[in-house]
This record gives sequence, structure tokens and C-alpha cells, in this order.
Amino acid sequence: MAIRVQRLPSASPAIALAARAIAILLALVTAGLLLAAGGAQPLKLAQQVLKSTFGSGFGLEDVGLLVTPLILTGLSVAVALRIGAWNIGAEGQFYAGAFAATGVALFIPGPAIVMLPLMFVAGALGGLVWILVPTLARAYADVSELITTLLLNFVATLLVYYVATGPWLDPGGHALGTTARLKHDIPEFIGMVHWGFPIAMLLAVITAAAFSFTRWGYEVRIAGSNPQAAKYAGMPFRRHLIVVMLLSGAIAGIAGMLEVAGTVHRLQGGISNNFGYLGIMVAVLARGSCIGVIAGAALMAVILNSGIILQTQGVNTSTVLAITGLILFFTAIGDELAHFRIVSSKPAEA
Amino acid sequence: MDLIAGILHTSLLAGGVLALAALGEVLAERVGVVNLGVEGLMALGAISGIVAVVTTKSPIAGFALALAVGLSVGMVFAAITVYLRANQVLCGLALTLMGTGFAATIGKAYSGIPAPATFTGLEIPYLSSIPLIGQVLFTQNVLVYLIYVILPVMLHVLMFRTRHGLNLRAVGENPAAADAAGIDVQRIRFWYVTAGAALAAGAGAYLTLAFVPSWSEGVVAGRGWIAVALVIFAGYRPLNAVLAALLFGVITSLGFVGQARNWPIAAPVLSMLPYLGTIAFIVVPVVAWHRMRQAMAAPAALGIPYYRDLR
Repeated sequence: MAIRVQRLPSASPAIALAARAIAILLALVTAGLLLAAGGAQPLKLAQQVLKSTFGSGFGLEDVGLLVTPLILTGLSVAVALRIGAWNIGAEGQFYAGAFAATGVALFIPGPAIVMLPLMFVAGALGGLVWILVPTLARAYADVSELITTLLLNFVATLLVYYVATGPWLDPGGHALGTTARLKHDIPEFIGMVHWGFPIAMLLAVITAAAFSFTRWGYEVRIAGSNPQAAKYAGMPFRRHLIVVMLLSGAIAGIAGMLEVAGTVHRLQGGISNNFGYLGIMVAVLARGSCIGVIAGAALMAVILNSGIILQTQGVNTSTVLAITGLILFFTAIGDELAHFRIVSSKPAEA
Repeated sequence: MDLIAGILHTSLLAGGVLALAALGEVLAERVGVVNLGVEGLMALGAISGIVAVVTTKSPIAGFALALAVGLSVGMVFAAITVYLRANQVLCGLALTLMGTGFAATIGKAYSGIPAPATFTGLEIPYLSSIPLIGQVLFTQNVLVYLIYVILPVMLHVLMFRTRHGLNLRAVGENPAAADAAGIDVQRIRFWYVTAGAALAAGAGAYLTLAFVPSWSEGVVAGRGWIAVALVIFAGYRPLNAVLAALLFGVITSLGFVGQARNWPIAAPVLSMLPYLGTIAFIVVPVVAWHRMRQAMAAPAALGIPYYRDLR
């Protein structure tokens, strides 16, 4: 009997899920140890987080506000992953969507019933325009979309910073570096949580259904897992790639619109709170599944909210970003290890 | 005249940061590993440099600490991507998030403190008095010569003129063939990825010890990603990478000059230039020069982990 390790081409779902759970747990423990090394008391912090998050309706509402953009940025990345594209630019498309929606709200007069849908469309178009160049570059010149989408994040951040401190600066002058308060708010759904939350959930369900039950979704999934096979079977790979990437950008743009119209009400620098980058996490945690994105977003929202709760304890948004990276790192390791199984084999017969 | 000298001076500094990081990425990608953690490594290097220089008042100590940090973090990253063969894109993104977040957390206490000592100019006698170019080229800090001349030439010779260089390129192009020829694929990958990570962290320290020179959150500002893009633009060649970085230094310094001279363009708009420039520079060549594609192509096994039994 010899014991050896064998690598399977695909991991069994149960083992993969278990590896995920262990990875997240290990990452959180590591984060706790690092915090302890920095002089904090991780158990006390964890207790405080649990109490303020789940101990009151307000805590859950805070999480609900954070989960809305995370579902959408996660969905944006997950959709692109379906065809094998890395949209690392959800952050920029988020800003572009918020920018476009704010522009519509500031400069076009009209009643809320007309304006909110118009802002929604503007947000989607903003995100779509922002991913247009990376999409065409990938589709026609095979330029890595990973880098082009990412670089545009910095441009979008600067653009929003520029208009919020310059041309669109609040003429009332109450707040520094923000536009005037938008006239139209997305109405509340439950407590502080606005209607963006059910809209985000609905979008996730619709996309999941489109991938599972339509011919288009089937072809995109094939194209994503094996482009050669898709081309050979006569599927229009390039057209699918373009449509999916533009859709991905539009979804991130919608996230930006909902955030500015539902939660923040003013366009300002830093409005995205790293939602775009955290969306990558969400999509990876969801293994690219559009429904899984909701669970991934919930986890990330709790982590993000913990960072806000713990701000007085010396933990800040950068610490949360570091912890997120740690989770991603352990998840990547767990994903690979889930492919292995230990087999005991009899010595080969002669 | 002063204007041009000023632009060149800033270009050399700004380009040096990118050049060092891009050289590191060339090392990793030539052996077939894409390291998307450059941005995070630069942040770690930048804060290490400041922490060390504030304590010891010696920029050399700062640079050395950054290299050491890059080396250790690089070893972890290399062990996990090369030996454990975890997904390189995910690990790279994770490293960027961790590095950026961790550096910013430590950096809170150091934010805005100017580096008490920096890499300052070294006037080379006689050469520096050459009219026009003398002042710019021969009064720079020591690292400029290392980054622009010594390191790239050394790497170029190593990669394209030695047997070992042939081996390392084989590892990036066709690891199975390299393995069959008796080259230890994983070991070569491990050490080059580690060395590349050290250079990326060094680039971060160069940023805070010579260019900016102080720490603030977001000081790296996407330079790591620009460096990754430059490597593609440079066709994975060290000499090209340094020239491309210098070109980007020029673009960056145009933005600075514009701000200093009150050009009628808003500062944030000028700051977009390097990012838009980078996108233009990786998109345009592919579209424009079809014939160069073969020579400038990425190593064939880039991003693909090597399993001996799956050959």
C-alpha cells in the first residue's frame, strides 16, 4: 500500500465549500492574531462587533446599506468572470455611474417619478461607457482587460474628485468637496435601507436565471470555460464577450447610482468606499455564481461594517482592506488544495 | 532651459520608481509567474523605507529594509503560487489588498512626516559641468545609475547572453521542456519571483525616500499597476522596460510642470495623464504594429502553474 496525493481536474463541490469555510476562518484567526500583536484584544473586538451588528435593528440596517453596492459590484465581477474576463474596474465604473446619475439629477429638472428611472439609466450607461474601451481592446486586439479596467479606476476617481471640488461644488457651500444634495432620494424599503437593496437582489436573480435558463447564458458559459470549443461550435465568442463585459460595467454603474441616490445623496470623492475592489472578493467568494454573490456580499458587508464599528479601537478602513486581502489569499490556497485527494494504491501488479 | 532641465530631473525620479518595479515584474513574468501584487509590495516598501529612515536617519537603511521586506513577502507569495500553485491572479490581488491595507494601517503614525534624510544628488566632477545635459544626468542620486544603467544592462546580459538566462526563459515559455532538460522549474520560478518582489518593494522605498519624499495614504497611487502594464508594453525586456518607464516619467512630470506653472488645466485632470497614457500605450502598439506581435509576445506559460504529472 502506497499513499500518494492525486490532483483532480476539478474539486468536488462539498470539499471546495469546506475548504472555503476553513480558509475564511483561518484568515480571520490570522487577522485576530495580527491585531493581538498590535496590542488589541481580538476576542473583545469580535464580541463588540457581534453585539453591535446583530444585537440591534440599527446594526442590521447598517449592514443592509453596505450589502446593496456589494451585491452589485460583486455581480459585476462575477458576470465578467462567466466569460473568463477579469473586470478589476468595478470601482471606476461605480464612480462613473454615480457621476452620470448625479449629472442628470443636478442639471435636468423633473419630478422624482421620472428622474429616478432616468438617473438609473444614466448610472448604467456611465458604467457601460467606462468599460467600453477595455472591452473593445480585449475583443479586437486581445489587450488584457485586467490592466485597462484597473487603470481607468484611477481616472474615474480623479474625475469625481475634480467635479466634486470644482465645477459641481455645492453652491450652498456647506460641505467641502461635495456636490449639492440631490433633489431626489430613493425611498426607504425597511428602516434606513432603501429600495436599492431589493433591486440589487432582483438583478442578481435575473442574471442568474439568464445564465441558467437561456440559450445566450448557455453559450456564454461554454465560451467562458472553453473559448476554442465555443468558436468551433459556431458560437459568436466576440459578440458574447462584448455584451457580457458591457453588462458587467453597467451593473457596477447601477451600484454607483444607487449609492449616490439612496445612501450618500451627494457626489463626493471616496464615495465608493472600495466597493469595487471588495466586489472582486465577493465574486471570488461566490465562485462566480450570481446567486452566491448575495451570500458573499453579506459576509463582506459584515466585515466592512465591523471596520466601521471598530474605528474607535484603532481599526480603520485600511485594516479592513488588509483583512480582506488575507481572506482572499487563504481562499486562493484553499481552492487549490481542494483539488487534491489522498489515495492509497496497491503496488502495480507485474 | 530651466523648464526642460526641471522636466528631465522629475522624469528621471518618477521614471525610476516605475523602472525598478517594472524590472521586478519582468523577472517574475519571464519565468511564467504573473505577480499582480506589485502595488501592495510597493506600498509595503514605501512605508518600510519611511519607518527605517525616521528611526536611523539613513536612506540606505530605509532602502535595505524595504528590500528585506519585499524579499520575505515575495518568498511567501512565491511559495504559494509556485510550490502550492494557487491561482496567481487571486494571490496577486490579495497581496495588493493586504500590502496596501497593512501599509496604510502602520502608516497612520508616519503620515505627512517628511523623510529626515533622502537620497540626494551626487555631483560627478567634470561630467556634471557638460552644458545642457551635464546638470541633469550627472548630479543625480546614486540609485538613478543603478536603476537606469547597471541593473537593466546586467539583467539583459543575464537573460539573453548566458546559458542560465536561456534556462530561465525556457521555464517561462515551456516548463515541461525545461523540466525534461533537467532544469528545476519550481526553484527557478521561486527565486525569480522573490527577487522581483524585492525590487518592487525597493521601488516603493525609492518613491518615499527620493521622489515624494514622505508617506501618505495612497502615495503609491497605482504606480504598481502602471509598472505591470509597462512590462507588456516593453515586450518583457529589461532595457525596453526602463525606457518605457522613463517615457512615463516624462508624462508624469508634464503634469507636475503644468501644476507648477498654473496651466489652465485642473490638477486632477493633469493627474489622469499617466493612467490614460498607460492605456494608450498598451492598446495602440497591438493595433498599430501587427508584425511586432511575435517578438513582443508574453512568455507562453505566463500565469499557468506547472504540474509535472499533467504534462
